[in-house]
Amino acid sequence: MAHANNRKAELDAEFSECYRTHLRDVYSYLYYRVGNHHDAEDLTEQTFLQAYRHFERALRESDGRPLRPWLIRIAHNLAANLYRDRSRRPQSPLNEDSTVATPHSTEDLVSGRDELARVLEGVKVLPDDRREALIMRFALGMDNREIARALGRTDGATKVLIHRAIKQLAGIVALEQEGGS
Amino acid sequence: MSGDVEQLLRRALAPVEPPEDLSTRVRSTLQSISDMAAEELEGWELAAMRDPRNWARPAIAVVAGGAAGAGLLLLGRHQRRRSRELRAVARRTAATVGTAARKIVARR
Repeated sequence: MAHANNRKAELDAEFSECYRTHLRDVYSYLYYRVGNHHDAEDLTEQTFLQAYRHFERALRESDGRPLRPWLIRIAHNLAANLYRDRSRRPQSPLNEDSTVATPHSTEDLVSGRDELARVLEGVKVLPDDRREALIMRFALGMDNREIARALGRTDGATKVLIHRAIKQLAGIVALEQEGGS
Repeated sequence: MSGDVEQLLRRALAPVEPPEDLSTRVRSTLQSISDMAAEELEGWELAAMRDPRNWARPAIAVVAGGAAGAGLLLLGRHQRRRSRELRAVARRTAATVGTAARKIVARR
């Protein structure tokens, strides 16, 4: 009984650490994924509740590897369910009033708002898997291996996915620039 | 061009800080789960416990309550009032299960 209690206390301590370490990552991923703070908050909450329920098994199966891909995968599935339940994509995937303003510095706003807006618009029109891979890479700083685990793909396939996503985005941005100039 | 886009992506997709009250929300949701589990046990009819098929339900409630409670304790380490409430829930849960078990044994 004492052993079980000790194990439980250890697990709880690890979960607490996991929560503190990854709250921002999960929230950032969901924010860029669903496009508004309200849904991002709800889904972040659900992600950690679900993570707590399966935490012991996840620890066992992770075999010492980082848990971030597992958390992001939970977040990904919950976001997919949200879209499925609503049977539509977000009408305004990224908040007009906060997407550029909230996470960016004054310098960004002055010097490159148009450029950043073009990039974000481009990200929005990418296929889902490419968009998600870019969010994981650039918003969360995940490497290919982590992204591969989160998406359930091989490292090689993930590398190709990201390469193609960047290439496609570059094409979209270039087209928009030409159209705007 | 791809290099430029990568630079722009780093700036455009800057990490977003979660709102400060999000932790409180998560904690409060765990508290609700814990409370519901306790109520589930308190409202459980003893007669139903004679049927082994029903034993899973309160057992799940105990597990859910315990798990949620532990999570709550973790995330709300500094909230002593919450901790006291949790201990009260745990005591009620243990008392309910103990009483039910004693009555079942006594009737056999």
